[in-house]
Amino acid sequence: MRLNRSTPASVLLNLLVLACTLILTFPLVWIVMMSLKQQPEVMTWPPRFIFKPTLENFRVLFDAAQAGATSYGTIKVDFLTPVTNSLVISLGAVLVSLIAGVPAGYVLARRDIPMKEDIAFFMLGFRFAPALLVVIPLFSVFQTVGLYDTYFGMIWVYQVVTLPMIIWLSRSYIEDIPKDIEEAAAMDGAKPFRVVWYIVLPLLKPGLIGASLLIFLLAWHNFALGLILSSTKAPVTVALLKLLNPGVQFYPVMAAGLVVTMIVPVVLIILGQRHLERGLTFGAVK
Amino acid sequence: MDLRGTEAIVTLQSSAGQLAPSKNEQVQSAEQHALDWWSLAAIAPAIIILLGFLFLFFYGVFQSLTDLKFGRPLVRFIGFTNYEVAIKTQDFWNSVRATMAYACSAVLAEAFCGLALAKLFASGVFLARLMRPVILLPLVLPPMSVALMWTTMMDPQNGILNYLLSLVGIGRFAWISDASTAMFSLVLIDIWTYTPFFALIIFAGLQGINDEVREAARVNGAKGWATFLHIELPLIAPYILIAAVFRLIESLNQFDIIFGTTQGGPGDSTSVLSVRAYITAFQNLAFGRGAALMVVNWLIVLIGTLALVKLWRSVRQRVS
Repeated sequence: MRLNRSTPASVLLNLLVLACTLILTFPLVWIVMMSLKQQPEVMTWPPRFIFKPTLENFRVLFDAAQAGATSYGTIKVDFLTPVTNSLVISLGAVLVSLIAGVPAGYVLARRDIPMKEDIAFFMLGFRFAPALLVVIPLFSVFQTVGLYDTYFGMIWVYQVVTLPMIIWLSRSYIEDIPKDIEEAAAMDGAKPFRVVWYIVLPLLKPGLIGASLLIFLLAWHNFALGLILSSTKAPVTVALLKLLNPGVQFYPVMAAGLVVTMIVPVVLIILGQRHLERGLTFGAVK
Repeated sequence: MDLRGTEAIVTLQSSAGQLAPSKNEQVQSAEQHALDWWSLAAIAPAIIILLGFLFLFFYGVFQSLTDLKFGRPLVRFIGFTNYEVAIKTQDFWNSVRATMAYACSAVLAEAFCGLALAKLFASGVFLARLMRPVILLPLVLPPMSVALMWTTMMDPQNGILNYLLSLVGIGRFAWISDASTAMFSLVLIDIWTYTPFFALIIFAGLQGINDEVREAARVNGAKGWATFLHIELPLIAPYILIAAVFRLIESLNQFDIIFGTTQGGPGDSTSVLSVRAYITAFQNLAFGRGAALMVVNWLIVLIGTLALVKLWRSVRQRVS
């Protein structure tokens, strides 16, 4: 709706939008600034907005050779391992979800199987699963079968977050594809498998890329599963919390860690804003 | 492949299996059967993985009925003792209160702020169109990062928030380091993070409203506010409520933001059920009692959700 507004009203609205944008972005800007400061500069009052930026904090996070030696003392951090862990677990979780979830989404969209709607609803229910209630028994199970603190175990348990999402998203994307195309191909004698592989999948590709971005993001966000079910394979969100030492608070180093965890999602927004929006509000708005 | 026909056949077979099908149908159903095997094979891996989690859920409920502790070889079934012990303590009711207070105040505030934000960005002014992607920003950040980001900003000694408050003449605020203000601070973080969720959904609802409806209201002499209250608001109410359902579930289960900022403290002020369950199970190593707390949390989620969904259904019916 493009109504004709008087100039003052439109200026006021623009200002309000600007204020909201500031509220939404300021914390991030401040954290980025903090990550570029020295420890003494962070502790000053009033806080400084103009300073000489340094990459010292990022060096502390990733420089294994110096083992976290800073100009203001030594803190033991190893941030490269958790970042790698998070990448491996999240990418693995996305891959497994795609392999197991997209066929399921296709079946739920196109085929008639008994109790189809019940199965679909059962899967949606996992969006509301109480993670901790699943993890408490899982802890003892993982200890017994030796899956505790392994990539394999972590990737499997991340499916509780990523798999239902990819099934629902791929189902809704497949339903957007006109059915006639498939029927025409089947009429020409193509086998069902070939129809899916050569006709449905290429049409589905943009949607699947978007959905993969979203579930990668969900896997990247996860904290509770990694906190309880891993130690050396802990994801980056768990490592972040350890940066907040009790007593001595190296805020700038932690800010640098925060920046690292936030870069990934911000890049993903730029890559696929439209898809993320559809995924994040999924279930509420189709 | 006529799938519609298949459906009829399936019902026919299940409801009247004793009737011998004609030869034609037999051939069709055989063909369909082969195809069904493909479908089942395609859906099986996903179902097996998810059934594993369902089993774990029930196993967790079972554990809540035992005296399981870490490292104890003998586990006894003790019925509802874990629950009985819990409800006799003040801490438990404190946690229930904290959980509800956190979720209800956060969802209510987010609904209002989200509505305002959506209306603002739906106005279509220049900056609104330009800045729309920014709404997504808080939603894509890891909740743990959000929690720690605000922890640094809410530092009572040299945090930026206290500096901004001092600019408008307000003295030092304790934020998450004081029992009386901790809950308020946490809700504030939740509001910053999840108001965009409401905004996105309400925005979609606003765009679904026909321009003709608005035009009709305007022609009939309705002023801006009246149009909003009597025309728009009832039409987007179902959107607000469904967003509230999603958010209520997530905020009753909220763990990351609270664990990342206060870990339930100071004192007991923000010890919601999920955080207390974690501490009971993994710091005190009493798995049975931790599981019992999570079952209670889950029941609260279930009751709250069912109530809201009922409300949503009745509102949607009234609208259409």
